[in-house]
Amino acid sequence: MKKLYLASALAVVMAFSSNAMAVDSTGCGLGSMAWRGQSGVVPQILAVTTNGTFGNQTFGISSGTSGCDQNGRVTGGTQRMVLNFLENNMEQYALDASRGEGETLDTLAGIMEVDKNELATKVHDNFALIFPHDDVDAVEVTLNLFKVMNA
Amino acid sequence: MLVGLWSMPVEAGVEDNPQWLALGHYRPQLFGQIESTIDTPNFFLAEDGKVNPKSELEATIALFEENKDTDKICIFPARYKFLKAQGLVAQDFPKCEEFEEFKKDLHPAGVTLLFTDAYMNNPSSLFGHTLIRIDTSRKGTQLLAHGVNYGAFTAGQENAALFAILGLTGGFYGGFTVKPYYDIINTYNNIENRDIWEYSLDLSPEELDMFVAHLWEVGQTQTRYFFFTENCSYMLMEILDAVRPSLKLADDFPVQAIPLDTIKAVKSRKGLVKSVNYRPSRQSKIRYRFKQMNDKQKDAFYAAVLEQNWALEGLEDDEKADVLETAYQYVQYQYIAKDLDLKEYRKRSFKSLKARSKIDDVPHFAEHDEGKPPHEGHDSMRMVFGVGNRNGEAFQEIQYRPAYHSLTDDNFGFLRGAEINFLNTTLRHYDNRNKTVLQKLDLVGIKSLSPADLMFMPTSYTIMADIERVYNPENEKEGYAFNLKVGGGYTYALSDNVWIYSMNSLYASYGGFLPHNQWGGIGIAGGIYADFGKWRLLAEAEKVFATSHFAESMKYSAEAALTLTKNSALALNYKYQVNYGHNIDEFMTSLRFYF
Repeated sequence: MKKLYLASALAVVMAFSSNAMAVDSTGCGLGSMAWRGQSGVVPQILAVTTNGTFGNQTFGISSGTSGCDQNGRVTGGTQRMVLNFLENNMEQYALDASRGEGETLDTLAGIMEVDKNELATKVHDNFALIFPHDDVDAVEVTLNLFKVMNA
Repeated sequence: MLVGLWSMPVEAGVEDNPQWLALGHYRPQLFGQIESTIDTPNFFLAEDGKVNPKSELEATIALFEENKDTDKICIFPARYKFLKAQGLVAQDFPKCEEFEEFKKDLHPAGVTLLFTDAYMNNPSSLFGHTLIRIDTSRKGTQLLAHGVNYGAFTAGQENAALFAILGLTGGFYGGFTVKPYYDIINTYNNIENRDIWEYSLDLSPEELDMFVAHLWEVGQTQTRYFFFTENCSYMLMEILDAVRPSLKLADDFPVQAIPLDTIKAVKSRKGLVKSVNYRPSRQSKIRYRFKQMNDKQKDAFYAAVLEQNWALEGLEDDEKADVLETAYQYVQYQYIAKDLDLKEYRKRSFKSLKARSKIDDVPHFAEHDEGKPPHEGHDSMRMVFGVGNRNGEAFQEIQYRPAYHSLTDDNFGFLRGAEINFLNTTLRHYDNRNKTVLQKLDLVGIKSLSPADLMFMPTSYTIMADIERVYNPENEKEGYAFNLKVGGGYTYALSDNVWIYSMNSLYASYGGFLPHNQWGGIGIAGGIYADFGKWRLLAEAEKVFATSHFAESMKYSAEAALTLTKNSALALNYKYQVNYGHNIDEFMTSLRFYF
C-alpha cells in the first residue's frame, strides 16, 4: 500500500516532499501562521479541520511545515526542529521571548536540551538581537536564537 | 481467501469478546443483528466481515498465522495485540516501517480528550467539538504532542445548503487526521477564538499501546459521517471502548452524540479522567486581562491599540508590561479578523514587543481565570412542565427538547449568549375546550448574543424555523403555520451581567389556512438579557410589519428562570401580543428538568 507520508513536524530528518505547502504571500515571519490550519476564509460548514491533502487510504501525520528555509541556511537536526517549531509558533514565541517566560520557551528548551530558565533569561535580554526588525522571518529568528544561546 | 486453510478451531466465545467486538467497531443494530460502523471494505478481511465478527476473527487469525501479506498485517497492530494476548496467534508481528515511524513521531505518553467550545460562526460547530490529543513524552511541553481529529471530508463542497443535507444524511465520508497540537491550538484558540478543555485520561501503558495501534487501524478507514449520530464525538467513544471495553461508552449514544454529552460520559466513568485543564481562547485571554486593568491602564491600552499612541504615559513598569502584552494579543486578533494588513500588523506587533522586552522581571496578571468546566453544566435534554393562562383560558403544557441550551437556562459551562434549541416540541391542554394540541414545534432556534465593544464588534443573530398553532381572526379558527425568521443585530453589555440588544429580522410564514396562504414581514426588536448566574431574565419588544394585516403585530415577551439544582429550574413566561383584531395575553409558570 502506497502512502504519502509527510514528514512529521518534529522528525529529525526533514523531508521537504514535493507536496509540502508552498510559502504563502505572508512569508515566514510574524503573521504567517494566521491562515494556516483552515482551508479558506469562509468557514466550511462541516469541515472540522478537514484537510484536502489526504486522499483515500492515506494516514499519517500532517505537518504544519511551510518550507521557509528554501536556501538551506538552517543545518543540523536540532536547528531544523527549532525552525519547524518557530515557523509554526512565531506569534506566541515572540510574545514569550519579550517577557521572558511562557510555554513556547519551555518547549524550545526541551528541543534544544538547555535549561529553561537560562533560555528564558537569554531570549528576553537579547530580544532585539533575535528580532532585529519587524519582518524578520523564522529562519533568521532560528539562527539568531542559536547565536544568542551559544554566545 | 485462504481462510479455510489456516483457520484453526477458534476458542468458543472469542468472537463475542467485548474487545474483539469493539476493535471491529461491531454495534448491535435495530433488529438485533450486528454490524460494524466502519464502512471501508479494506477494514475487513472476511467477505462478510462487516456483519460477521466470527468470520472476521477467523480471517484475521489466518492472516497473522500465514504471515505472508506484510502490507495487510501492518494495518492491524491492535487486532494482533488482542489475539496474541488471547493466545490465538503464535507468529511474531512483522517490522512495519510506516507504523513504527508513526509511533516514533508521536512519542506517545498518554491520551487526552479535548473539548472545544461552541463556535457560533459555523453551524457545524454550534455544539462544540471533541478531538483527541496523544500526549508526548518529548522533552518540553505538550505543544509537541499531536491532535487526532475525526471529521467529514468535505473538500470541494462549497455550497452551504448541500453541506447541511449531505452532512445529515451520511453523504460525506469521515476520516482521521493527525496534526501537531500547536496547530490545533492555533486553529481553535487563536483563529476561531474557542476555549479548549483538556481531559487527561488515566490509561495504563498497555492501554496506551493499544490506543495508538488501534488509531493506526482506523486511520486507514473511512466511515459515513452523520452529523448527529456517527460524528466526530461518537467515533472517539468507539475507539476508547476498543482500548478499555468495560467503559461501554458507545452504548450511551444510540441516537445522537452531542460533543458535550460524550465528555460527560467519559467524566462519569470511574477513574478514567485524571485531570482537567483549561486552555482559554485568545479572546477570552484578552478579555480577562482587560478586566484586571486599572483605569489608567485601560486608557493607555485604548490609546495604543485604537490611536496608535504607544507612550503609555504615567504607568509603572509592571502596569506597562501588562498593557503591552494585552495590546500585542489584541493586534494578533485584529490581524486574524482582517482589520489590519500584514505591514501594519507587523509594525504594531513589533512595537509592542520591543517595548515589552525592555521591562525586566515584573509581577503580572493572571493569564486566565479557572473557567467553568463544561462537564459541570446542565444536561442537554429538557422537559418542561407548565401551567398557565391564555386570554383567560387555563392550560397545562409539556415541552420536550432533545437539545441543547437556551438563554434562560443556566449558562454554567456553556457559551453565554449562545442559544440552540433543537426540535423543541410543545403540547398544550386547554381546560375549557378540553382539548390537547401541538402548540409549537421548534425545528431549530439559534440565537447568538455577543456583546460588541471598542475591541470586539461581533454581530448578534437569530435563525428560527418552527411550526406554530396560530389564530386566524377572519374565520376565528386555529391552524398551523410554518414560520421562518432570520435576523441580525448588535448586543451591548451594560455590565458583566446585563446586556441589551437590538435585532432586525425578516419573517416568512406559510400555512394553508392563512389569508393568501402566506405572508412576509420585517421585525424590529429590542431586548434586555440579564444573567446573574442562578437566575436569568430575557425580555423583548418587537414590532412586526407584514404583508398581511393578519400578521402585523406588536409583541412583548419576558422569560425568567431560577436554577434550583444543576438539572432543574423554575421558570416564568409572559407574553403580550397586540395583533390585528386579536390580542394574546399569556402567562405560564413552569418547572424545567434537564437529563
